[in-house]
Amino acid sequence: MSLLRRLLRPLLRPRVVFLAAFLVALSLAAAKAALATFVSANCNYNAPTPSPNMYRDGSVTVALVARYEGYHWGGGCWNDNDVDEGPNEPLQTSSTGGEGGDCSSLTFKVWRESLNTGDGGHYQWGRLRNVHGPYAAADFKAGVGVPNATYSKADAIVMDAFASSSHIGMVYQRSTSGADQIVEAKCEACGTNIFTRTYRSDSSYGGVRRMGWTG
Amino acid sequence: MRAIRLICWCVCGLALGVVAGLGAVAAAGSVASGSGPPDREAARIIDVGHLPPLLRVPGEAASLRFNVFCPAPGADGFDGEPCDAGGDVFVRAGTAGAFLKIPLRRTDDVADGRYVTDVPADLAASPEGFSYYAVLRNEATGASLTVPSAGAAAPQLSLPLEHAVVVDLGAHRFGSTRHADARVVAAPWGSAPGRVGLLHGPTFGPIGPSAFDVAANGDVAVLDQVNGRVERWRAGRHAGDTTVDVSGGIADMALEADGTIDVLEPTGSDARTPELRTFAPSGALRSKTPIADRTWSQLREGPQGPEVQQEPSEQWLPAARGQRLLSRTAQAAGGHPGRTLPNGRELVVFRAGISEARIAEIAGARVRRAWRLVSTTPLGEVQLAEPLGNRVVVVIRPYTDTQDEFLVLVLGARGVERSFSVDSADWAETAPLARFRLAGSSLYQLGSAPSGMHVDRFDLEVNR
Repeated sequence: MSLLRRLLRPLLRPRVVFLAAFLVALSLAAAKAALATFVSANCNYNAPTPSPNMYRDGSVTVALVARYEGYHWGGGCWNDNDVDEGPNEPLQTSSTGGEGGDCSSLTFKVWRESLNTGDGGHYQWGRLRNVHGPYAAADFKAGVGVPNATYSKADAIVMDAFASSSHIGMVYQRSTSGADQIVEAKCEACGTNIFTRTYRSDSSYGGVRRMGWTG
Repeated sequence: MRAIRLICWCVCGLALGVVAGLGAVAAAGSVASGSGPPDREAARIIDVGHLPPLLRVPGEAASLRFNVFCPAPGADGFDGEPCDAGGDVFVRAGTAGAFLKIPLRRTDDVADGRYVTDVPADLAASPEGFSYYAVLRNEATGASLTVPSAGAAAPQLSLPLEHAVVVDLGAHRFGSTRHADARVVAAPWGSAPGRVGLLHGPTFGPIGPSAFDVAANGDVAVLDQVNGRVERWRAGRHAGDTTVDVSGGIADMALEADGTIDVLEPTGSDARTPELRTFAPSGALRSKTPIADRTWSQLREGPQGPEVQQEPSEQWLPAARGQRLLSRTAQAAGGHPGRTLPNGRELVVFRAGISEARIAEIAGARVRRAWRLVSTTPLGEVQLAEPLGNRVVVVIRPYTDTQDEFLVLVLGARGVERSFSVDSADWAETAPLARFRLAGSSLYQLGSAPSGMHVDRFDLEVNR
């Protein structure tokens, strides 16, 4: 016992204690901060707000907020500072808690859908509400869920969508070339933005309509 | 007493350590936890959707429709209500003279554009058409947007099609496709030399080489953006790679006559604005030039340098004049409705409605010759429209909800001189309007399958 006390005595000096505590706290804080993700640091799990009305042009603005905020596989949370705060993520091998949505979560939030696939109501999800929703692109393509229905591609208008077995993008505006401007969360290297695409004429894509628009 | 002093030192050390640890990590920029700038003001958001009636047939109403996208008035701008927008259209007959200001009226038709104005009949009836631009506003916040962005300096043009050759395509017969005359590129997927990169994830793709072009000597250059290189193929064999600094996103590409490589990126160095990157034939980066609009459709080489079709202006904007790269403002001021041809004329393409395409060669704001392609099968995008001697080659995509093919048309003075269908061969995604190139009197198609990518050549067998 006396041997242990003798050995510890040099360490129980104020400067040594301070330094040790400083280094321990520094390491722990740095590790904690480095491991924090955009989602864990910023996002919430609040309940959505029912929206009495849901206009197509009113919902486009939800997508415009997501522009430039990046793409994140399995994600569904972003802010509105036009910076992707989780860039250079691995290619869809794991969900790393970065900023941005993927194609189906962006559609889910812009279309104001419910986590309950039997509920066709309108729900406003805040941009920092981390939610992906119950649908993958293939589900949208098949018209799964009460709010969703397959639809003729030729008749698709703003805020209808084109979905394949692995991707979905929403119509923003038809172009003079016959292609469409599509708002979509595309891929890590592409981000979330408005791009010109030819999904309308591509037979691997089908038309999808969110039912229940007010106008 | 000594123990209390030690505890105080320990607490101080812990506190300072936490502060220093967080600060160090934040300074290193490795925190993905909200260390970015604060959110921008939602009131700034304003954007537009507009399909300009570039080519009008007699009797067609000259209506201009716009959707304005901005937050709804009130405390919650994202509650699903439309914004309180308004605006004015400035219109004039032809391309000179004073503009007439006409306010937009609000309608319930969001499908074609909630905000609309009808161009006065006397202006719309001008043989030189009418030119216009619009200033759109969020009435609640004052945020505004002009489209085309140069306004009066480069307004949009809408021309009458009085004497277009009508080509009735009828119902497209799927399944009768022509085989290529030669396969000039064939590469399996991969990253080794002679292979081409493929990007595929659970929620996107597959995305293959996003563009290609054919050099004057017949060499084919393929933009392998996944592997950061341009691959060159000669006489069906891989002839080498040029490393280029590209983002890896879906880009368009065009080769200049001197071998300069122009790559049109979906986003630029600021991670927002698309940009044109210019590379020496060696692959050395020469310049990065942001384009004027938010979105692009295609890149082509014009007689004075690269031109980019952009949205929402729906104009072709020059990115350079010779060696001089243009600022975004200068690009917008040079906007025009058609792609510039070597003879200085423009080729205007307008896919009207569900199943009609209008093609016109114009000079001096007058239509010199034009075609209306009408079909009972829906028509998708016009992939290519390019002069070939005194003819125009058009590649368009008939489709249904389950089928699609490309239809190649050689248009002459009396209508279709030659036509055939080709398989869409579009297993992997490319840039939207980058699947075809015309070189000499041959048409080249960038195609793909699960096993790899290819470029096929179709000889058009027409005299130039």
